[in-house]
Amino acid sequence: MPEHLDGDDKPSVSRRRFLGATASTAALPFMGASAARAVADPAVKPDPGALLNVSLTINGKDHRLGLDVRTTLLDALRDHVGLTGSKKGCDHGQCGACTVHVDGQRTLSCLTLAASAHGRVIETIEGLASTDGKLHPMQQAFIDNDAFQCGYCTPGQIMSAVGCVKEGHADNDDAIREYMSGNLCRCAAYPNIVAAINQAKTQMEG
Amino acid sequence: MRPFVYERAATSEVATQAIRAGIATDTAPRQGRYPAEFLAGGTNLLDLMKLDVMQPAKLIDITGLTQAHSAILVSPQALRLGALAKMSAVADHPEIIKNFPVVAQSLTLAASAQLRNMASIGGNVLQRTRCSYFRDTSWSACNKRNPGSGCAALDGYNRGHAVLGASKDCIATYPGDFAQALMALDAVVTVLGPDGTRTVPFSDLHRAPGSTPNVETTLRPGDVITAFVIPAATWMRRSLYMKIRDRQSYQFALASAAVALDIDDGGLVRQARIALGGVATVPWRARDAEAALVGKKLDPQTAESAARLAFGGAAPREHNAFKIALGQKTVTRALVQAATLEV
Amino acid sequence: MTVAAPTPKANMGQPVPRYDGLAKVTGSALYAADFPHLDLAYAYLVSSGIAKGRVKSLDVREVRTLPGVLDILSHENMSDAVAHAKFFSDGGPVSNSVVPLSSPEIAYAGQTIAVVLANSYEAARDAAQRIVVDYDIDPASATFGSKGAIDQVLAEQSKKHEDPKVGDFASAYAAAPVKIDAAYSTPTQHHNPLELFATVCSWDGPNLTVYEPSQNVYGIKNGLAQQLGMDASRVRVISPFIGGAFGSKGALTQRTAIVAVAAKRLGRPVKLVATRRQAFTIATYRAETRHIIKLAATPDGKLQALSHEGFEVTSRPDPYAVAGTDASTRMYACPNIVSNVTIVRADRSTPGFMRAPAETPYFFALESAMDELAIALNMDPIELRRVNDTMKEPIKGLPYTSRSLMACFDEAATAFGWSKRNPRPGSMRDGDWLVGWGCATAAYPTQMAPASARVSLFPDGTARVETASHEIGTGIYTVAAQTAAEQLGLPFEKITVALGDTILPPAPVSGGSITTASVCSVIAQACAAIRGKLSNEAVGADLVEALNKRGLGAIEEYAEWVPHGAKAGAMQALYKGAAQPIGGAKLEDRMQFAFGAQFVEVRVHSQTREVRVPRMVSAFAAGRIMNTRTARSQLMGGMIWGIGSALHEQTDIDTNAARYVNTDLAEYLIPVNADVVDIEVIMVPEEDKLVNPLGIKGIGEIGIVGANAAVANAVYHATGQRIRDLPLRIDGLMPSA
Repeated sequence: MPEHLDGDDKPSVSRRRFLGATASTAALPFMGASAARAVADPAVKPDPGALLNVSLTINGKDHRLGLDVRTTLLDALRDHVGLTGSKKGCDHGQCGACTVHVDGQRTLSCLTLAASAHGRVIETIEGLASTDGKLHPMQQAFIDNDAFQCGYCTPGQIMSAVGCVKEGHADNDDAIREYMSGNLCRCAAYPNIVAAINQAKTQMEG
Repeated sequence: MRPFVYERAATSEVATQAIRAGIATDTAPRQGRYPAEFLAGGTNLLDLMKLDVMQPAKLIDITGLTQAHSAILVSPQALRLGALAKMSAVADHPEIIKNFPVVAQSLTLAASAQLRNMASIGGNVLQRTRCSYFRDTSWSACNKRNPGSGCAALDGYNRGHAVLGASKDCIATYPGDFAQALMALDAVVTVLGPDGTRTVPFSDLHRAPGSTPNVETTLRPGDVITAFVIPAATWMRRSLYMKIRDRQSYQFALASAAVALDIDDGGLVRQARIALGGVATVPWRARDAEAALVGKKLDPQTAESAARLAFGGAAPREHNAFKIALGQKTVTRALVQAATLEV
Repeated sequence: MTVAAPTPKANMGQPVPRYDGLAKVTGSALYAADFPHLDLAYAYLVSSGIAKGRVKSLDVREVRTLPGVLDILSHENMSDAVAHAKFFSDGGPVSNSVVPLSSPEIAYAGQTIAVVLANSYEAARDAAQRIVVDYDIDPASATFGSKGAIDQVLAEQSKKHEDPKVGDFASAYAAAPVKIDAAYSTPTQHHNPLELFATVCSWDGPNLTVYEPSQNVYGIKNGLAQQLGMDASRVRVISPFIGGAFGSKGALTQRTAIVAVAAKRLGRPVKLVATRRQAFTIATYRAETRHIIKLAATPDGKLQALSHEGFEVTSRPDPYAVAGTDASTRMYACPNIVSNVTIVRADRSTPGFMRAPAETPYFFALESAMDELAIALNMDPIELRRVNDTMKEPIKGLPYTSRSLMACFDEAATAFGWSKRNPRPGSMRDGDWLVGWGCATAAYPTQMAPASARVSLFPDGTARVETASHEIGTGIYTVAAQTAAEQLGLPFEKITVALGDTILPPAPVSGGSITTASVCSVIAQACAAIRGKLSNEAVGADLVEALNKRGLGAIEEYAEWVPHGAKAGAMQALYKGAAQPIGGAKLEDRMQFAFGAQFVEVRVHSQTREVRVPRMVSAFAAGRIMNTRTARSQLMGGMIWGIGSALHEQTDIDTNAARYVNTDLAEYLIPVNADVVDIEVIMVPEEDKLVNPLGIKGIGEIGIVGANAAVANAVYHATGQRIRDLPLRIDGLMPSA
């Protein structure tokens, strides 16, 4: 079993009864050995007023949040943690502006439930530069190559670009273009984005 | 998006029990789907929940089962893909790229890098149509979403809609790519259901719309796909996926073809496999076209006449007639290219 | 220097990296929906599922009981909350004169018919989706040719429009030896900036603060005050970063007043982030157009007659039109010209400006027809432009202040390798791909509007620029700082710039490619005033020393600048958010245009007919270039818009329902990274001392103008198929089965 499914590190429900136990104690929307009994409880109905306790590790810092179960990771970051660098451009996984890293993989935070991200390691644009303020090579490369205009898609582009290099999909321009095609840029800085990735990848590998 | 009960499953058995229990608590299917749904990558489910097209009362998060059900096993007899393997993991697997190129290509040419990192292959084959009339609940007529309400696409804007396998009740296109590869390679689906594990030929997984377009697969309540098994065959290495779209990348197919060929030393086709995407309501196997190639030398002319057979029963609507010619050209191009592969 | 930072040629500024680069790569730039608020409530729109009729009933009983739902606004409780304001073409502030929620009437699909207010975004969305609407449905007219759509002659509907004409077209056309008569069309398109249409309204007693991405913050301030019946001095609009606009954020949309009213009623700040689907109907769009072009020439290519008839769709209430005949009739020397524009009223929301609003569709038609004429003449298309090049526009004989069209053609043709082109269609091939090369003229009116700014110089050698202009991605922060640095002789790093806030001096709408010319002109004027006060000659350290010698804590100069040709009262209109761009073909004494030449290589698959653009070269001459880095990016962006516009972009209409169907970014196709391969931007040096003191023309829009026709011309060259309807998709290129 993955580590995040163990122990206390699970999302829990507060403010109401859930699965036959009081919310703030042991009752969890997670099924272990007693799950069959638990889910057989005919009282299971969604409670729109309930808040789910979710722990997210974001940019190395732990956050404990009480969230509507429907909250996406993107909205949790923006509206509940105050990290507004990740952007909402479509909310349906079609533009890439919300791209963050979850357990090191570039991921669309708009199509990720915050509850599903419970216990996972999340990195956003705000955590990319060193704590001393030194920019990540990809951030510097975006500035040097003018790889943005309005800047709205930029956090997602940069997070995606870092992922693209780490995945080994930045070997040549064709690969970069293909593997960056999930990040729309309406200002159309695409050639400059490709140039920025080429600049940054050698520094990242070095 | 409606509120839902969120649960995490630790084992697949628990998951299927859970979903059955979820169904038992709320027997009225909504939007033609079950009131409880498994959540894996979530890329299609959450999208449709945000649109209020899908309204599950319960989500059973099965991402905790990933370790147990995401293995990629290559043996001399078969390729076995755990259903929770991510699209990107399968697409980038060196042995799959080499020995089952159509599988790797169908995944690489689908969606975006981020979506492929998120989406499970089991969920991918079940992704639902992109028909606008289905995805937007403010259109009242959609038999798939709301059985008996009609089909707004029939006389609406239907450039993207199906020319094969359509009915008078639904012309929505099956949008995926990977399914065509599975179809072409005679894959078998391993399903864990309330009564245990069973296997289903992939070609039996999807149901043509007929008069019940709301029922899209032969899966039963509580079933979960746990694996795909692709038998090794003489045609698997001479295979490819050809996908035609307006944009160079990140678009659903206007037409696609998964093809696999076994060609003898004399250049004659021993076996051919052809599955079509972007043009049909379900992953579409073109068996007549396959049969027509056997024993022939694969040249542009034989490929083209086989391609014509593949679209024999095509029924165009106002805006999608081009898909017949496009589909034929796509098949032709795919076959000719496959014949020239070095294997 | 990298490719992204071209070495400046004559009359070009340094490629200084963007002033706001650090903020944008670290996620710290705050866009409208990013500002923190205490006790925020969320709004979610309910949109009409029909195009015409009325709301019979809204069933909100279930919804009112949902946890977190605070209120539901509809015509039942909002009917007189927002006052009618005039459509902007009629001198008003709004992009669409239909006031949603003022009555049960529905004028277009997607019209806002209710708004849910809730404690959370999740609750608001859920409630909005659950509201059951019962409609009375009337038949709706979708577009050209739809039953009930009404054709009107634009010149009879709009006092501002006059059809350009000269000579005797009919006789000249009849007599000429070589002729072209062809019909073209362009589709509905949507801007789709990546940033969604967000609005946050917050009241502090009688004072309202609005956070909204805007190309005209003073327009929102004054228009909203009018709609809400309040004093404009009590409205502040904050918009420091805009996530793309392209025209969609220029005029006041009807959502802002609704959010303001909601916030007032709740006594809490309210945030609306409209969905991508709603973005297709709550703001504006580029309407579909049709064109009939007739050209006639002598055998040596001299144009003898030109006729351009345009047809444009608009809404029932608002006579919006782009009327691109103003420019398309004035590009080439021709003695006999006639034109007219017809608007077609349908049950649609009102269209609006989108990148090169008039030129994009009208030049597709004109420049495709020019290519057809070149083929009919058996003449190189560049030479056809050359023999008809002119320094005087043909309608009134007014001189161009500068025109470097042929210099652009020559530089771009050389870089592209045009001389290697075999003109025979279908003659160039690479394996299974048919290769085609095409070119077209681009032009865009050089316009400006009144602007104001405050520049302050401080004893520590820093300076501050303040003007309520808008950073929509153009780089105005950067060139504003560059202008002040240059004019005061200070290092770029010593300049701070404040934009996008109505507490700052007013700047005009950031549209029509006017911003750099207008805003940099007024900044230069304020800087000159500072120099004048301290010491006329001194700049840089000497200027700062002069300030220190006098013992001043700061020197602050407020400037107002009015462009050539501006009407009386133009400066006062600026303060009301209603400054009108002036220039182009609208001046009485001269023509002001930037020009360009665009070259495209296309590849069309010989069997499956998909079209790709592996290479594009364009040259532009647009007066002084302030910053070669930001300028190149903006021109490149326009060129890539041209690829998308030519090949992909079309908002599909269900004509039975008069509704859009591809209302998301998976189905409305804009170019992705893989669609763009080799883009070369050439900036041709040009000096024009007449347009404004700095000689700036504007570059935001010209990049798209010739691209559509260049692609179509290249597709003809590749295939022999002349496609006259955009976009050029497989459907049109596939021989029928």
